[in-house]
Amino acid sequence: MPEATTQAATTAPGDARPRLPGGAPLARSPIRQPPPTAVVGHWEVSRRHTNAALRLADLSALAKVVLRAAPESEAAGALGVPFGAARRVNVVATRPAPQLVVGSGPDEWTVLGPVDTQAEIDAALLALPGEHPRSVVDLTHGRALVRLTGAAAPAVLATICAIDLRERSTPNGKALRSLVAGVATDLVRDDVEGTCSYLLHVERSSGQYLYDTLMEAGATAGIDAAGLPEKEI
Amino acid sequence: MRPVARRATPTSGRLGPRPGEVIDRARPLRFTFDGRPYLAYEGDTIVSALLAAGESVFSRSFKYHRPRGVLSATFFDPNCTVQVGEEPNVRGAHRRVRNGDVVSAQNVWPSLRYDVKAANQAVGRFLSAGFYYKTFIKPEPLWPAYQQVLKRFAAGGVVGADDPHGYYDHRYAHVDVVVAGGGPAGIAAALGAAEAGAAVLLVEEEPHLGGHLRYGGPEALRLLGELRQELADAKGIEVLTDSVATGRYDGNWIAVHQRSVPGATERLVKVRAGALVVAAGLIERPYVFAGNDLPGVMLSTAAARLVNLYAVRPGTRAVVLSANAEGDAVAALLAAAGVEVAATLDARRAETVVAARGHGHLSSVETSQGRVVEADLLVTATGWTAPTSLLNMAGVRPTYDEAAARFVVGAEPSPGVFATGGLVGDASPEGLVAHGRAVGARAAAAAGCGKGAVLPELSPGPHPALFRSTTHGFVDYSEDVSSKDVFQAAAEGYDSPELAKRYTTATMGPSQGKLELVNFLGVLAEATGRSIGELGTTTWRPPYAPVSLGALAGRPHEPVRYSPIQPYHEAMGAKPLVAAQWIRPDHYGDPDAEVRRVREAVGLIDVTPLGKLLLVGKDTPALLNQLYVNKWSALRVGAVRYGVMCAEDGVVFDDGVCGRLGEDRYLMSTTSSGAGAVWEWVERWLQTAGRHLDVYVTPLTTAYASINVAGPASRTLLSRLVEGVDLAPEAFPYMAVREGSVAGVERCVLWRIGFTGELSYELHVPAGYGLFVWESLLDAGSDLGVGPFGIEAQRIMRLEKGHLIVGQDTDGLTQALGAGLDWLVKLDKADFVGKPELVWQANREDYDRLVALVPTDERTVPPEASQLLGIDGDIVGRITSSRHSPTLRHPICLARLAHHLATPGTVVRIHLPDGRDVPARVAETLAAYDSEGVKLRA
Repeated sequence: MPEATTQAATTAPGDARPRLPGGAPLARSPIRQPPPTAVVGHWEVSRRHTNAALRLADLSALAKVVLRAAPESEAAGALGVPFGAARRVNVVATRPAPQLVVGSGPDEWTVLGPVDTQAEIDAALLALPGEHPRSVVDLTHGRALVRLTGAAAPAVLATICAIDLRERSTPNGKALRSLVAGVATDLVRDDVEGTCSYLLHVERSSGQYLYDTLMEAGATAGIDAAGLPEKEI
Repeated sequence: MRPVARRATPTSGRLGPRPGEVIDRARPLRFTFDGRPYLAYEGDTIVSALLAAGESVFSRSFKYHRPRGVLSATFFDPNCTVQVGEEPNVRGAHRRVRNGDVVSAQNVWPSLRYDVKAANQAVGRFLSAGFYYKTFIKPEPLWPAYQQVLKRFAAGGVVGADDPHGYYDHRYAHVDVVVAGGGPAGIAAALGAAEAGAAVLLVEEEPHLGGHLRYGGPEALRLLGELRQELADAKGIEVLTDSVATGRYDGNWIAVHQRSVPGATERLVKVRAGALVVAAGLIERPYVFAGNDLPGVMLSTAAARLVNLYAVRPGTRAVVLSANAEGDAVAALLAAAGVEVAATLDARRAETVVAARGHGHLSSVETSQGRVVEADLLVTATGWTAPTSLLNMAGVRPTYDEAAARFVVGAEPSPGVFATGGLVGDASPEGLVAHGRAVGARAAAAAGCGKGAVLPELSPGPHPALFRSTTHGFVDYSEDVSSKDVFQAAAEGYDSPELAKRYTTATMGPSQGKLELVNFLGVLAEATGRSIGELGTTTWRPPYAPVSLGALAGRPHEPVRYSPIQPYHEAMGAKPLVAAQWIRPDHYGDPDAEVRRVREAVGLIDVTPLGKLLLVGKDTPALLNQLYVNKWSALRVGAVRYGVMCAEDGVVFDDGVCGRLGEDRYLMSTTSSGAGAVWEWVERWLQTAGRHLDVYVTPLTTAYASINVAGPASRTLLSRLVEGVDLAPEAFPYMAVREGSVAGVERCVLWRIGFTGELSYELHVPAGYGLFVWESLLDAGSDLGVGPFGIEAQRIMRLEKGHLIVGQDTDGLTQALGAGLDWLVKLDKADFVGKPELVWQANREDYDRLVALVPTDERTVPPEASQLLGIDGDIVGRITSSRHSPTLRHPICLARLAHHLATPGTVVRIHLPDGRDVPARVAETLAAYDSEGVKLRA
């Protein structure tokens, strides 16, 4: 199974559109990519590095597949992730690392995987055991996904989100849906190496708005834009 | 009009260093007041700095424009409101001086010293309670004139229309315990709660914690130092100073207004707390006597603050009226500070003030013993008001304690709501700390932390009931309401607090009764021969303290949505149009040219906002049959059908198409503005009446970039980029759907539908590739004359074609048959949403019809919403859509028209906004362009 690789995009003479070598189409995030950019798989992504204690990264290029099934179904049982939780599960058994499965709704799970793996996730979800009706939909292009990381992240979010983000209410691995700055958002507490981190997941067209709002809200806390982290690829 | 005399005091009233002073003498600041330069120290309030410089008048009163000076030296001081730069209504006794501040008096003309409006005092006896109600009620035609005059006398500062606004912020907080008030009891409550493991938010109105300990003696300062140290060592306490809890709502939802905050002008904090501890302390109340508003008459706590916090001598020769130990202490404090205390009147021995006299400033005091004492300072200490506001908002009803002459509450007046400190009773500072600490522990326990603590006894001590002397004076300084006004109101029958309050406006000014309420009740009780306990009190409502509009508004969160193709629209200079949060291209400079391009060649429009829902499951046809007015059971794979949804009342709710992509997969499109509502509508049905259905719905609106390729050359253009789909008319006919690749992008959905009346295809491309495909289409069709067209061109073309827009050509009362949808509604279906209403409508004839109108004057394009008139001048309908058609070269309209006039050929009159009437003829069909549909089926 091929891994997404990083490569430079090419530009044809007189054509400003970046293309993959061979002229294959290039996918773009809904969020403007802070330079420098590179091509990862079929996506143009930022590879900006920052050492800021609070950072915001655009992860929209990651694969995102939604499963709808009855909570009592075998498929749901096989995933083993309840509503309101997020855990890493080997949905695609052949992948070296597990995917993040988010219990987004009572009968809804969002699976996040590396760039360009949506077809594999899609197939794996359709192959889950059980005969119950289910729906598997690739929303890779339909959602914007950002990661806010840093000890100050809860304080920044508290200026635009009414949710109780204290440890006792929203510990690592908690998933919920709420309004963030007026936009319906799937919020996942997914710490990175012990540092508080949140995934924020909105429909694609609101991605730039959410990104800009988070950058503004985090300005006094020293927020900085980060590129797509290597480990997410 | 004589000017107000300046005070005969030394130019500097600044004392030597004080142990508890909050000024930093090493950091001098400069500011101006009414154009004159002044010096201040860091930490000075505007008023303390001006007092130190010898000024004593800071404002003119609301109605009579009487000169006013310091009364309480707090945020609620009614006499110290000033304008600072472009910011009006600044509390000068609270706001710290900033270097370069430009401060001015408000609502004075021409100046604070020479205020012409002070002439109102000469007619004061006519400006009594109810003056406005009695005077300006008739004649009614003069109301606008009255309004103009009265506006000139309105209090308040000035806001320029172009003044830049600051950055206001909002924040949410979730804590176990909120403590409102940072005096000794409040600090102790926070400590007690934190010791029990609670997360605590301690809110203090002043810039520093400590309450009255800050301006107390050495022992008070020592205790404060200990509390501050303990607080610094404590875990789990967040302290917000210069902040006030302005409201308590259900479930301990508490609004906190932060008046100064790093990085923002102000902030509103919305707090959800497990428990609330109100430790608001006590507010010293003024005494009512003649001349009680003269500059130089102030409360004992004001004098103590000025001396001990700001090292300002408030006068040179003082009379002190005291009814309590605090007043006695202030008399000693003043003497120690070098103020000559000319007389001390002990109110506990029935000694009192009869009148204060002076012009523009206190010059003498007449006592009840018949003495007239020369003085420039009169300090009163006659009792306390319990600011129970937050408790009242929690449903608590404080009781009036006759012996203590104030309202009191218990320590646990309501579940999850606690009180401590002066609100509950009187004690030494150590006693207040012990009570506060125990209340904090009990509040923590109520929030699920710790086991609580035993409450020590705390009850109010006796205090003389002092409200008014033998003379009349001001009860409400903010509103210029005197005790005489209250007596008059009672005599006129306004004898309950709620009625008299509204009639006199007492307690309705900016300080909202903090200083005035109990005196108001005391005077009203005296006037009506009842006790305060019998009268009851007025209702305290949020906000406890005024909140700026900026803080309420906060940072505006107005989400906007962008299509993946937005970079192109911006690059081309498209005029943006905001529609349902989406930023869309209205046009690219010439809508008529864009229409011609589509009619003659090929154009592209970005229709990404169109709602798109993926329906998966074998029971999808059953769901569609229930939600749409037409039939869906026989829809073949690869076919598309138009559908209309109605609500239960038969009113048109949304329209769109739905295509069958596979055996159990359907893609539904909705209007752009209806995308969210239709999704919720579908989910609602699936989660209620349709729980048995095997259908899952997933919104895909932004998963696809949607592009409509329209025009006679559209098939040619697509043939250059589409793979995997046979575009031949017989293989891909009108109202069909296919899946294939476009410009190398796989998994695209292609519909053969359109809104323009031309041969057209709607492409749904995985959104990340949207811009790529759009630009590829433009490149591939350059020789065909391809170009973009915007919303305006589309609206013109759909109007030429007679397609309705739900919400524009229909309204909240338009049932399906009145929208020209007779051909679509299948009343022979077993059931669908809205069917009973539509069956009833079908049996009537009296509903308005949707018709096409052609104005006979080809130069006039009637504005949308123009009324239609019948022969007798009655209103018979209205224009819903109207444009000039560049294709047909005359105006075209859709209209809602009374049924008896909807016959083709009927002429009605369009009533234009300029008063003209233009005849218009009802057209044969809604479509003025290609009414047979030949072009779109080509």
